[in-house]
Amino acid sequence: MATPAEIAEALADYRDRCNGNERLRRMLRTWSRVVHFRAVDDGSTFTMCVVEGEITEVAEGANHDPEVVISATSEDLADLFWGDLNPARKYLAGEITVIGSADDLLRIDAMASLLWEE
Amino acid sequence: MVGRPSTLRRSMGLRTVTSTSTGLAFAAIEYLAVASLLVYVAGDLAWVSIAVAGLLALLAWGYFSELSGLYPTAAGIRLFMAKSMDDRAALVITFSYLATIVLVLAADAFIVGSALTHVTGLPAWATGVVVAALLGLATTANLRGITVAGRVQDVTTYLVMAVTVLLGALSLTKTRTAASLAAAHTHHHGVGSFVVAIGLGVLLYSSFEWVTMNAEEVREQRLIPRGMLIALGLLFVACALVSTGMGRLLSSGELASAYPQLFFGKRVLGEAGYVLMCAITLVTAVNTFNGGFITASRFVYATAREGSLPRSFAKLNDRAVPWVPVVALATSSLLASLAVVLAGSFQVLLSTGAALECGVYAVAALCVLRLRKRQAAAEREFRVRAARLACGVGLVLFGVLGLLSSVSVDNETNPLPLAIIAVIAGIASVYVLRYLPRMRAAEEARRAAAPRRRRPPIAVTDPAAITPASAASAATATTPGLPTPVMDAGFLDGTAPTGPDDRP
Repeated sequence: MATPAEIAEALADYRDRCNGNERLRRMLRTWSRVVHFRAVDDGSTFTMCVVEGEITEVAEGANHDPEVVISATSEDLADLFWGDLNPARKYLAGEITVIGSADDLLRIDAMASLLWEE
Repeated sequence: MVGRPSTLRRSMGLRTVTSTSTGLAFAAIEYLAVASLLVYVAGDLAWVSIAVAGLLALLAWGYFSELSGLYPTAAGIRLFMAKSMDDRAALVITFSYLATIVLVLAADAFIVGSALTHVTGLPAWATGVVVAALLGLATTANLRGITVAGRVQDVTTYLVMAVTVLLGALSLTKTRTAASLAAAHTHHHGVGSFVVAIGLGVLLYSSFEWVTMNAEEVREQRLIPRGMLIALGLLFVACALVSTGMGRLLSSGELASAYPQLFFGKRVLGEAGYVLMCAITLVTAVNTFNGGFITASRFVYATAREGSLPRSFAKLNDRAVPWVPVVALATSSLLASLAVVLAGSFQVLLSTGAALECGVYAVAALCVLRLRKRQAAAEREFRVRAARLACGVGLVLFGVLGLLSSVSVDNETNPLPLAIIAVIAGIASVYVLRYLPRMRAAEEARRAAAPRRRRPPIAVTDPAAITPASAASAATATTPGLPTPVMDAGFLDGTAPTGPDDRP
């Protein structure tokens, strides 16, 4: 089980990588969302705010009203942010669950895809 | 699983769930399918076959309500099939299911293209060009990320349904035409025809279940079964009225055309009705192209990301649109449409679609049965009553109807739909059994070769183990307000263990 500190570290690294990726910023330039990540095993929650493609805030806790909520084990969340797991595979296996629109889901997956695959 | 938050800012209510379910089913092909039904059943009784098909659709509603409640996710169809049968069989069925969407897109492109050609007075050969232009337009809009917003979709769907129901109701006040009486005498109706008509009737409701892919967007999970149920009711009323009206007013030639709804509008409201139905046909096409392209392309994208399709299908353009699936879907639909234009027989498309849809509903019945055994204790938002009986009956009925529909075209025995389905399933099987294992093996090898990026956590007992460079890195990776991460010596000296092989 990953600790909240580990997830926080991973999320912060993820933020930096996302904000430093030109193509990703261009792709998400019209996308602004509040995303909550919930660890189902320890109950911790993290907030990620995206404003026109830039991650402007990452923090522990459930801040703001979310448009998307992603639930997974703490291990999977940490691996997700480090790019050590394929979110689509976990999602299609039912191990990552999402509340939100299909379009938002695609954009979140696109973040992982662009960061780690291209 | 963590509960749904009550404050999700964007979510679908019952109105949008219903309009989505209705809109996915009510494509332009609906009018054509209703007209084709009159070849099998006398006009005044066509509604009976639609009602019986509706009762069968209620069975399918039960299956998809239970399956969606068990897997409330856009990947539900992929998930419940994979959990209830061999993954290879599930993939073959899933890919064949996708073919239904291609057929509906192709049929709609053909119908709208034919209607436009007719309205503008262009020669018949121009239909192919108009179809290509329509699909090109839809593809361009999709690639540019242009989508019909939920509220607009609500308005257009309810508008289409209202106009259709209104025209259907008005048609009942009209005197039966001599041409319709003559048309009724040209067709031979019997028990066999009635059974095939039920299979075709199932096509009228088909795709209503695709709204289950929006399960993650709804305010409450129970809205999905409710919305689907209302959609089935709306579809029944609209199709029953139109079938009765068409049976009373249209001639044999008008019923056999690719745009019977235009003649129907004209018979009911004169030139105004003709223009109105032209507009309605275009609106249904917008809905179909929007919903069909988006639903299918996202599904193909996810399957590619999962590793079950080539990686090129997961490529995104600068507007976050999976452009390869969109182009592939448009090309497949164009080829199917052009084949119909050249063959001049859209009835083959209808029978193929009806057979595929019946097959999918039979598979859904099987999945409910299997998952009741395999995941007996799993929480379900919705449960089919008398599941063994309901699923057993559905399995047999949908199986028989699918088989009959696949060998009947225009009330004549014709195995072409069966051959088309066999080719689709054959291609999917060869891909899944021969190419997919190799592709997955290559993917596994690629993943195994990739280094694990995650920094393993341990409390640092020896501060000297942290180098200035790594400390600086850790500092930049820290968000204000969040705990400062700690890194272990294993990460620093490169001896950190590698983790499970599930990297992207």
